[in-house]
Amino acid sequence: MTKLLEVNNLHTRFKVRNGYLYAVNGVSFTLDKGEMLGVVGESGCGKSVSMMSLIRLLPPAAQITQGEVLLEGKDLAKASASEINMVRGSKVGMIFQDPMTSLNPFMKIGAQLCEGIIYHKKMSRADAMKQAAKYLDLVGISNSEHRLHEYPHQLSGGMRQRVMIAMALLGEPELVIADEPTTALDVTIQAQIVELVKELREKLNMSIIWITHDLSLLAGMVDRIMVMYGGSVVEEAPLDEIYKSPRHPYTIGLLKSIPSIKTEAGSRLPSIAGAPPNLFVEPQSCPFAARCAYRKERCTKEIPPLEPVSGAGANPHHRIACWVDVTKEPAEPKEGGML
Amino acid sequence: MTDNTLELQQEEKQFSLAKDAFDRLIANKLAVIGMLLVVFLFFIAIFGPYITPYDFLSQDLQARNQAPSWAHWFGTDDLGRDIMSRVIYGARTAVIVAFSTTFLSLIIGIFMGSLGGYFGGKVDAFIVWLIDITMSVPSLLLVIVINVSMKPRLVNWMDEQFLLTGNSFYRNTILVDFVLVFGSLALIKWPKAARIIRGQIMSVRNKNYVLAAEAIGVPTPKIVWKYVIPNSIGPIIVYISAALGEAMVFESSFSFLGVGVRPPIPSWGNMISDGLRVWQLYPHILAAPAAVLALVTIAFSFLGDGLNDALNPRQWK
Repeated sequence: MTKLLEVNNLHTRFKVRNGYLYAVNGVSFTLDKGEMLGVVGESGCGKSVSMMSLIRLLPPAAQITQGEVLLEGKDLAKASASEINMVRGSKVGMIFQDPMTSLNPFMKIGAQLCEGIIYHKKMSRADAMKQAAKYLDLVGISNSEHRLHEYPHQLSGGMRQRVMIAMALLGEPELVIADEPTTALDVTIQAQIVELVKELREKLNMSIIWITHDLSLLAGMVDRIMVMYGGSVVEEAPLDEIYKSPRHPYTIGLLKSIPSIKTEAGSRLPSIAGAPPNLFVEPQSCPFAARCAYRKERCTKEIPPLEPVSGAGANPHHRIACWVDVTKEPAEPKEGGML
Repeated sequence: MTDNTLELQQEEKQFSLAKDAFDRLIANKLAVIGMLLVVFLFFIAIFGPYITPYDFLSQDLQARNQAPSWAHWFGTDDLGRDIMSRVIYGARTAVIVAFSTTFLSLIIGIFMGSLGGYFGGKVDAFIVWLIDITMSVPSLLLVIVINVSMKPRLVNWMDEQFLLTGNSFYRNTILVDFVLVFGSLALIKWPKAARIIRGQIMSVRNKNYVLAAEAIGVPTPKIVWKYVIPNSIGPIIVYISAALGEAMVFESSFSFLGVGVRPPIPSWGNMISDGLRVWQLYPHILAAPAAVLALVTIAFSFLGDGLNDALNPRQWK
């Protein structure tokens, strides 16, 4: 497998009224060609911001302060604005969360789809429209030639998300970043979109980063899962490993809180006590320490690095950022900690 | 059956949002009345000189203060001038002033509003502060102050220029009236435009479709032109229609008070002011310009309301 993307020690922060909000604090990972990576975490854990930072699709208040984003060896974090514009839509495609508001109501579907490739590939409008029709077919929109001349309000939510997917794919990107693409859709449409993405991935052999807060959605879809908390990666492992032997206390809590068919009716669903970390101060310790049942002295003093797990039979691709080996330590109820 | 309905849907013509809005506007009777009146007013203002029966300055001292007749539809004033001709010329004055001030206030408003909306932060705070300050100044007072303090200087300066250059352009003191009216009105009105534009830019800028367009690498000028402007134009169109009507009323009130366009150039305001002195004897002198002013104001507010209903999605029924 050849490496497509390498992210090293990425830091992104937002300028706010009195200081900064530290949204992403040292995220590192790699992605191979054709690989699909799931990024999980609670709201505000920096999963979207870190992935948006890859193509610098950030609000003006955000700044990338450190780190590099190597896409096929080229550092996007230091690329010029016009260079990054060429990467967007041709090398990297984005699928957004809310298809209902992601299309300009004043433009016909076709015109919006073509906008990017006309610019990137210097295509004529007619050729671009043909290409767009082809991709609409590909994402399962029937009567595509006709749909090109429709306005967004004439399409349903599921169809709009298909259009958004076609828009992301039209530039034939190597990497697609899907930012919770199914959150705004109802469950049946969600399943359709998931199937569609899986299918397209096979066909087009692209790498996908799928951002979600729904761990169960990723099962059977991605190759690898990266769990984020408080702006950093806390655990990263191949799909099966995460479900079979989670090693970070946060991941354990996250998995426990998924309702299963075996959960007894009327029983309380386990939750992680406490609140997400305050991101207005630059983290100096493990971001999860305050809520952690396995907390040790060291956890509140030093930031744990993301390292391969130790122990016999451990998967070499399984990495965690934790000072504690949860397989050996019993969980103790701590003040403000979960159990 | 199902196939049939499907085909029917496919045959259906595609409607854009703009066409949709226009249809809604046309469906509103009051808005159509307002629009027709406004179009008529513009027509009169443009072609006035070719359709007036008399020159607006020609006096007929034998036919002073005449009641309306076939020869003089709206009667004549105290100098025997045809009131209808003067009202038609007054429309010209009103339209020129309305367009120029609205245009000027829009330019300032777009500049200030987009600066604030785009950059945010301190620039925005400063511009909002400026808007608040300007809005807090009583408009009538401001215009009077500008007129009283600037006009003599401006006229003097122009006289000097005439003596120096001999250019007859500088003899035209009517221009001073107009420039002062435009300038002071624009000065009063820009904050409203700036506010609307600032708000529009701020909200449209953060819309998902702008982000989506950025994500496929659409160049910024194209994003502004095809994504931001069409989506923010609605309230601006409504503002323009309201501002045009408002500017006409402002111009009339300033001229009425003698700080706007001054006789002999006819303005509805100074005509009303003239008519007011003799209204007990010759009510028609007052009635004609006052009625026209009222009608135009109503027409603009009908049109404005109609546009607002047609363009503001929150009010869709």
